[in-house]
Amino acid sequence: MIKISNLEKIYRTEDVETVALNKLSFEVKDGEFVAVMGPSGCGKSTLLNILGLLDDPDSGSFLFNGIEVAGFNERKRADLRKRNIGFVFQSFNLIDELTVFENVELPLIYTGVKAAERKKIVEDVLDKMVIMHRRNHYPQQLSGGQQQRVAVARAVVNNPKLILADEPTGNLDSSNGNEVMQLLTDLNEQGTTIVMVTHSEHDARYSHRIIRMLDGQTVMQDLMV
Amino acid sequence: MFKNYFTIALRNIKRHRSHSVINIAGLAIALAATIVIFLVLQHEYSYDTYHKNADRIYQVIKKDVSPTETGFQVGVPFPATRALRQDFPQVTFGELYKSFGSQLTVMKDPNTISSRRFIEESGVFFADPEIFSIFDVKWMAGSAAVLKEPGKLVLAKSIAEKYFGTWQSAMDGYLKIDNNILVQVAGIIEDVPSNSDFPFAVIPSYKTFESNQQYFNYGEQINDWGLSTSDHQVYALLPENMKAASIDANLETFSRKYYRMESATKTSHFLQPLKNIHFDTRLENNGDHISNKTSLNTLALIGVLIVLMACINFINLSTALAAKRGKEVGIRKVMGSSKTQLRTQVLFETGLIVLFAGMTAVLLAWLALPYLRYIADIQQQLTLINTGSILFLVITLVVTTILAGFYPSLILSSFQPVEAIKNKINNTRVGGLSLRRVLVVLQFAFSQLLIIATIIAVGQMNFIRTADIGFDKEAVLLLQGNNDSTSLARQAAFKSDLLKLPAVKSVSFTMDPPSSLNSWTTNFAFNNNTEDLPFSLYLKTGDEHYAGTFGMNLLAGRFYTTADSARKVVINETLMQKVGIKEPSEAIGKTIRIGAGKFREIVGVVRDFKNNSLRDGIQPTAIISYPAFYSLTAIKLKSNNLGKSGEAIQQVWDKHYPEYAAETRFLDESINEFYQQEERLSRLYKVYATLAIIISCLGLYGLVSFMAVQKNKEVGIRKVLGASVGSIVYLFSKEFTVLILIAFALAAPAGWYLMNNWLQNFTYRIDIGAWVFILAVLASVIIAWLTVGYKAISAATANPVKSLKSE
Repeated sequence: MIKISNLEKIYRTEDVETVALNKLSFEVKDGEFVAVMGPSGCGKSTLLNILGLLDDPDSGSFLFNGIEVAGFNERKRADLRKRNIGFVFQSFNLIDELTVFENVELPLIYTGVKAAERKKIVEDVLDKMVIMHRRNHYPQQLSGGQQQRVAVARAVVNNPKLILADEPTGNLDSSNGNEVMQLLTDLNEQGTTIVMVTHSEHDARYSHRIIRMLDGQTVMQDLMV
Repeated sequence: MFKNYFTIALRNIKRHRSHSVINIAGLAIALAATIVIFLVLQHEYSYDTYHKNADRIYQVIKKDVSPTETGFQVGVPFPATRALRQDFPQVTFGELYKSFGSQLTVMKDPNTISSRRFIEESGVFFADPEIFSIFDVKWMAGSAAVLKEPGKLVLAKSIAEKYFGTWQSAMDGYLKIDNNILVQVAGIIEDVPSNSDFPFAVIPSYKTFESNQQYFNYGEQINDWGLSTSDHQVYALLPENMKAASIDANLETFSRKYYRMESATKTSHFLQPLKNIHFDTRLENNGDHISNKTSLNTLALIGVLIVLMACINFINLSTALAAKRGKEVGIRKVMGSSKTQLRTQVLFETGLIVLFAGMTAVLLAWLALPYLRYIADIQQQLTLINTGSILFLVITLVVTTILAGFYPSLILSSFQPVEAIKNKINNTRVGGLSLRRVLVVLQFAFSQLLIIATIIAVGQMNFIRTADIGFDKEAVLLLQGNNDSTSLARQAAFKSDLLKLPAVKSVSFTMDPPSSLNSWTTNFAFNNNTEDLPFSLYLKTGDEHYAGTFGMNLLAGRFYTTADSARKVVINETLMQKVGIKEPSEAIGKTIRIGAGKFREIVGVVRDFKNNSLRDGIQPTAIISYPAFYSLTAIKLKSNNLGKSGEAIQQVWDKHYPEYAAETRFLDESINEFYQQEERLSRLYKVYATLAIIISCLGLYGLVSFMAVQKNKEVGIRKVLGASVGSIVYLFSKEFTVLILIAFALAAPAGWYLMNNWLQNFTYRIDIGAWVFILAVLASVIIAWLTVGYKAISAATANPVKSLKSE
């Protein structure tokens, strides 16, 4: 699914050069659930942005499903992203002006699904996430756990091959957190590849493999049993 | 997709309610102002375009070139029509004679005396049938052919109804013109559209004029090529494919053939296209006003600038809000939205707001239209909804959407999703402040320009209203009557009865008050010289009580008396100076020859008085007695309050002139009418200056909101460190004061230049003092401080903990 080699990303300001990714290489196979861990500033988020096709590496190779995507322009990245990748964020990132239903519907709109079909798909997903009864509410009216369930619903509504989760439980209490981790595990068992950035050893234990990063490089890969 | 845009647009409008209200209000005001301007321009440019041969219709203009001046006249000598027809057989010529203030007595049959009398200030045209081969009218009864005979007349439908009840019953009815000329109704036309400078209403045949010449005081001179009056006009319809230039060339030969070429003034003719008649300020037309194209262009420019100002507001507010929308944009991008989709969304939202504003604007324009006549020369009610205005509105809305929405859409769609989603978009990324500063400076420069223009225009109007016009215009009542022989014969008795009234101080018969828009000019010679002087002499006529009734001041000599009025003349200071005399007393006893008449002796010199409007300078003028022209009775009252004496005067009139309708007005009112156009112009400036100020204040408010968002953290930190509310308000106001001063640096020279040019239209004008500019800049600084104050104080008093937490 993902194969990166010698990936480099350097942030430059006027007089400081920060190396976020330093010739990073690893591979994620189809159906894997990988956790990325490391201290603040080790490049986790940069990595996730590049994997999510939100950002472009400065050098190195990034094969997504066997296609070299490093160097894709914004339009091509957006196109690939909207069909293949779902996102779950720590801060949920729902649009405040849209209802639960409309938030979940958004990715389908951008992939050009017809309205009638969209309604059916969204309702299915909301059902699965047990959030159907809240379909007409706005994000501010929901609890953190409910918001994250909506975010997960939105991430999977397009049936993506890959879900990228950025500290998905960071803003949740432990019971809501566990619920969300269970949702991700279920999705993974149904065949979705998941890459999750986390600070939580507890959450990381849900994954098959942990990639530990320091200063833009992998330092260790633990295989979970 | 569009449903989603629509939903979020509506919710955004609701959510940012105050911003939406500012945006919609600003745009609505601007669009309403522009719609009104459009309607004015549409109306002005539509004059006489409805004639099917409009592009082949011309007016024959007379051009007089003397060594010192070039004059243009719409009047053509009476014999010219026949000569033109003879020399240009391929062209259709039509002639008309225009009559002012004619009294029309309505009669069912010619032998009964009728008391149904009407005075028509305009619309009475003695016309030949060819006039209606040139101009289109719709015939309801009869045809142009009825105008071939004398004693026949055509009425417009509404006039026919006014006189006879129904237009059908008007047919074959009779009218008596000025109690002398009997005419029979032989045709009815539909009312002429209001956008015409040919308001045909009462149309006796031209033959009627020709066979009743004795009533029009032209005497034998009517066949003279040297006599012309603006009332006698000739129009031409060229055959297809014929160029006016080719006729113009031949008109030169024509002029040499018929005019005396030895005189100092060379006369020639040229063809004026119909489409210029409404706009040529060198000439007069038969409609109620001439439009100045420069004024119309200025108006169009103001319209465009006002919409631009509102668009600038929109851009400022939208980009200020953009930072708040960063997260939404980020999420949409992560979800796979393309830049184009985001841009479309922003433009769609803008379009929606512009549409709301457009609807509000139509309502505002509809409410404003009845008041249009106070600021524009258009006296008729314009229709808001027509094909042109709808098209204009649609185009304006689309253009406004693009102008207002394009830049914000570029800004929003260029956000990096990763940063946007993490709320890292701050305002330095939203295109920086500099562009907004430039935009606000432009806005303020424009509104200050209008403030300066308003102060100067209002000052000039006040100056004119209170200026010394050289005579006493107060408490003089003017009665417009007739100068036919019957009327003239009764004047003495009428006057003696008037003088018996306790309210009446003096009475004078005249043609014209000292100040009027009429001008009567002639060639003249001074002090028994045979040679004419190379400039024209302006004439005023009145009886021996003229100077007393109008309170004129004699500098030397006396006014002429009943006994010597026919041989004596009184001149003004300007004439005295122009003929080279320094002391008024030296002029007494000198002689002057008016036109081709005998030399008359100068018996008095009066202090200069304004003979026309203050736009023009004082002309060299002579006051002479000319009883045949006395149609006007000037009554000086003992007090300005007419009260019951109005009725008494009317009774005296009815006793002496039972068959005439009296038309009365006060002299000061009719003098004020000269400045109607300027009055309207200064009102127009006031209205648009106010609008510009409102719109730029809305914009300023937007920019302050933007700064408040941007400086949120700065204000928080400053407050934590102990800054006072005052110092934070200062932080906000300082910048705007600087912007306004920069705007002032642009507006002041431009304002001075434009208004100094405008003032050149007036011979008597105010000086543009420094106080005008000080007032303008103070006004805008104070208004800006008031606008900024609210936002600045609310930013300064906000809890700093909140603003810092968001980081």
